[in-house]
Amino acid sequence: MTTTADTGAPRLSMRTRRALWVWGFLALPLLFYGVIRFYPTLDAFWLSLTNANPGNLRRGPEFIWFDNYLRLFTSRDFWQVFRNTFAYLILGTPISLVLSFVIAYYLDKLRFGHTFLRALYFLPFLTTASAMGWVWRWFYQPAPTGIINSALGAMGIPGLDFLRSTTWALPSIMVTAIWAGLGFQIIIFMAGLRAIPQSYYEAAHIDGLGAGAILRRITLPLLKPTTVFLVVFSSIGFLRIFDQVYNMTTNDPGGPLGSTKPLVLLIYQTAFQSYQMGYASAMTVVLFTVLLVISLLQLWILRDRG
Amino acid sequence: MAQIELRKLVKSYGRNTVIHGIDLDIADGEFVVFVGPSGCGKSTTLRMLAGLDEVTSGEIRIGGRVVNELDPKARDIAMVFQNYAIYPHLTVRQNIAFGLYTARLSKAEKRKQVEDAAAILGLTPLLDRRPSALSGGQRQRVAIGRAMVRSPAAFLFDEPLSNLDAQLRAQMRIEIKALHARLGTTIAYVTHDQVEAMTMADRIVVMKDGRILQAATPMEIYDHPGDVFTARFIGTPSMNILAAQAEGGAYVPAQGAGRVLAGVRPHDLIVGGDGTGLRLEGQVTAMEPLGPETLVHFMAGPVPVTASAGAHDRFEAGQTVRAAAPVDKVHLFDPATELAIPRG
Repeated sequence: MTTTADTGAPRLSMRTRRALWVWGFLALPLLFYGVIRFYPTLDAFWLSLTNANPGNLRRGPEFIWFDNYLRLFTSRDFWQVFRNTFAYLILGTPISLVLSFVIAYYLDKLRFGHTFLRALYFLPFLTTASAMGWVWRWFYQPAPTGIINSALGAMGIPGLDFLRSTTWALPSIMVTAIWAGLGFQIIIFMAGLRAIPQSYYEAAHIDGLGAGAILRRITLPLLKPTTVFLVVFSSIGFLRIFDQVYNMTTNDPGGPLGSTKPLVLLIYQTAFQSYQMGYASAMTVVLFTVLLVISLLQLWILRDRG
Repeated sequence: MAQIELRKLVKSYGRNTVIHGIDLDIADGEFVVFVGPSGCGKSTTLRMLAGLDEVTSGEIRIGGRVVNELDPKARDIAMVFQNYAIYPHLTVRQNIAFGLYTARLSKAEKRKQVEDAAAILGLTPLLDRRPSALSGGQRQRVAIGRAMVRSPAAFLFDEPLSNLDAQLRAQMRIEIKALHARLGTTIAYVTHDQVEAMTMADRIVVMKDGRILQAATPMEIYDHPGDVFTARFIGTPSMNILAAQAEGGAYVPAQGAGRVLAGVRPHDLIVGGDGTGLRLEGQVTAMEPLGPETLVHFMAGPVPVTASAGAHDRFEAGQTVRAAAPVDKVHLFDPATELAIPRG
């Protein structure tokens, strides 16, 4: 920094210099996000109003107003996929949250083998989704390949054709997805439980609260910020489910008969197998809107009424 | 009837014994303060009283009833914690009402009791606020309110003022003391702050390494400390302790055989004084003007000593000073056992 000879003070004020530094550091990520994230997002909004496809991308696709959306909302395939996606969300989020809370709650009370068990629960989170998908796919195979059907057989229960039944395929895949996210949710719940001071529980003991009352009136309310985060995080995860479905149904992705197909898989197929970019963009905009509305709704419902 | 009796109370964690069989009787309505350095076992003793920690051996009686195996809620006690343990998601009213969780009272009666307690503690205008909107002192009062509505046989306080700033602590000391005078309930109070012990207690229990060193009224402990540790721990600034030898009715600093440990409080060791019990001389290392008096730190041979001087007396570092204390202000301790030597 150059300084004026007489006073020794820098030419720019402290405030200006600080602002320059801040913007200097912010420029790079802003540029990156602008080019890689925000521009494509905005572009998708525009594309969704066109008939974009690889053939017309270069000379410019035609503007067709809301034709893509009209087509979407009258398509039976789309509504089937929409229902599937919400099935993943509405069943997956509560089941995975209750399960991970129960495990975290008891794991937190456990002294012996605590670290080992915690690591064990976290392990799936470190595994790639495709590897998990394939392993579970084998679990679900008919006996003698699939261990689940083998076990059922050993108990005298007739086997179930998990992934080839339109009834059972979606729940079967959901189990895999829940299992995949469990480790992360348990760790977060446990961190939340650890943050509650021990004296809160001791004071409650002295006041005569039982274990149930302590859970209901102290633990759960104090754990709310953690729960809100996990509800939103997990919901977004289930609304965007793709890896597990794709890897467990590769011979007919989203099958049987589209009974497991989520929105993201339909978008993928429309965009990169049928090359209907405009139409796929319209679906993306719908997914974006759904994610936004559901997240905001959850934050609003679970807000702190202070 | 709410006297508390501890009989040969022992607490061990595995092979590590932290309380070595203490005996103590706390009278009905007495305000007893357990004081000692960290790890002396005072909090553990209180937690055993509360039923939060198990008793390894020995007996705890509250109101004549052995409570060793009773749940905390069945012991008829209330506890106030260092971090207040009031719930951030509940209002002041709800927090205080938690104390009545097991009480078989109608809603209206509970409400009245909560409001009565709040009135005593000056919390009435804050009843519908959340703890986050309260100051540290107000939070502590909410915790006390929750304990009060239980109308317990005894209050247990675990370092309740440690998280407050000095000014607030001084104020809360007086408030708790006034509350005790008003309610007349037995109080067992744990602190590491000897000022709290001196100012609030009917009786101080000095603890160290899991044992009770001395249990007596504040002035008794101040005037006749039972051992070197108690002597240095109670009273600020700390008592000076140095090896000395009797010489014609007085004591002079000495090393070697036949010596005793002589203790004198800085307030009794006057710079330029004419006391004949103990005379010390040395070079000034530092000076602390406190307003009403001035503390003078100097080296009596190898031993750093603190003496007091007049409010406006001034000394330079390196200057030689003489200080003396009257003979009846010199405390004597056995150099081997560090116990007080009674003087006939």
